[in-house]
Amino acid sequence: MLLTNMYQQAALAFLFCAATVATASGADALPGSDWSSIAKLPDLNGVWEITFGGVVGGPPQQVVLTPKYAALLKAFQEAPAQDTPMANCVPPGMPGVMLQPYPIEFLYTPGMVTIVVEAFSQVRHIYTDGRKHPDDPDLTFNGHSIGRWEGDTLVVDTVGFTPDTPLGMNMGTRHSSKMHIVERFHLKDANHLELTMTIEDPEALAQPWMRSAVFGRHRDWTIAEYVCQQNNRNFMDASGKAGINLNHK
Amino acid sequence: MNLSKRSLYQLIAGLALLLAALPVVAHHSFTMFDNSKQIVITGVIKEFQWTNPHTWTWIEVTNDQGVTETWGIEGMSPNFLGRRGWTKESLKPGDKVSITIFPLKSGEKGGTFLRCKFADGHEMVMFENPKVIQ
Repeated sequence: MLLTNMYQQAALAFLFCAATVATASGADALPGSDWSSIAKLPDLNGVWEITFGGVVGGPPQQVVLTPKYAALLKAFQEAPAQDTPMANCVPPGMPGVMLQPYPIEFLYTPGMVTIVVEAFSQVRHIYTDGRKHPDDPDLTFNGHSIGRWEGDTLVVDTVGFTPDTPLGMNMGTRHSSKMHIVERFHLKDANHLELTMTIEDPEALAQPWMRSAVFGRHRDWTIAEYVCQQNNRNFMDASGKAGINLNHK
Repeated sequence: MNLSKRSLYQLIAGLALLLAALPVVAHHSFTMFDNSKQIVITGVIKEFQWTNPHTWTWIEVTNDQGVTETWGIEGMSPNFLGRRGWTKESLKPGDKVSITIFPLKSGEKGGTFLRCKFADGHEMVMFENPKVIQ
């Protein structure tokens, strides 16, 4: 009886939402939408650490800013802060959070891929159930992510970024709330995962900025805790001056 | 050096990413430390804090005037080190060690932990290649 109801519900859902979310297993279901489908996805088990010097498809690109954002960078460079808010334990946000020298982990559940980022104990939820971005997303460090599988490649589309976080490694290279990032994750071989990022921003970038990284698999590692506030003795004050606290106890 | 253009690009790409991805810059910049010189401090371990975002080694060092001073040495995180042979027991109170550091520019008694030599002569490296950040 229960089973019959489930099928009826699934059939109804399919009829009414045929173009969006498939709730029953079958040919029309999106990859990763249920447990049996998850078993067919690329094996990303284990923990992945960025490889130093790993790039995809040529040398890293230089960022090309719009005149307005180039002026912001110039103003920053005339009196640069000695550090970034990361010294005060503020996470970098996207895209920097994906390029930290700490491991990441991928978790599959029906309709979702979760990326656990060890640095700053960050979590990204990638909805692969066919939903769209909200029309007016809240602006966050890591944005709102939807994903889809193109064969063996996980394509992640992210919008809704707070402009408070930097675009690059310094606080002078900025992005706007209109930044849009498309990431493509693909297994290069058994133990190497390639990431290419295409970053667009109609206000900040004069042309799309491609970034890439290669991650190496460590099957025997686990993600560790990273509570930055535990014993943080570094700081940057409001004037941008860096400091260190040497008071033991 | 006879590098092809492609090799040169790969080298530059590698260096750029290396600099962008160094563990020490993950959390903060290197502005405060003088990475043009390495100094060796010798003393007795007071405490080894196995904490994020950095390990901290507190070591008592007797200066030229015979006065004992406590130095604070910032090191790589337990997450990084735990995957590279270090444990929370690697340095114990009472251990007599010589630690090589990049000192603080300010002259305060602190620095960045590079490597450590123990009384029995064995050495442990915390930060493998300090030259890359010079």
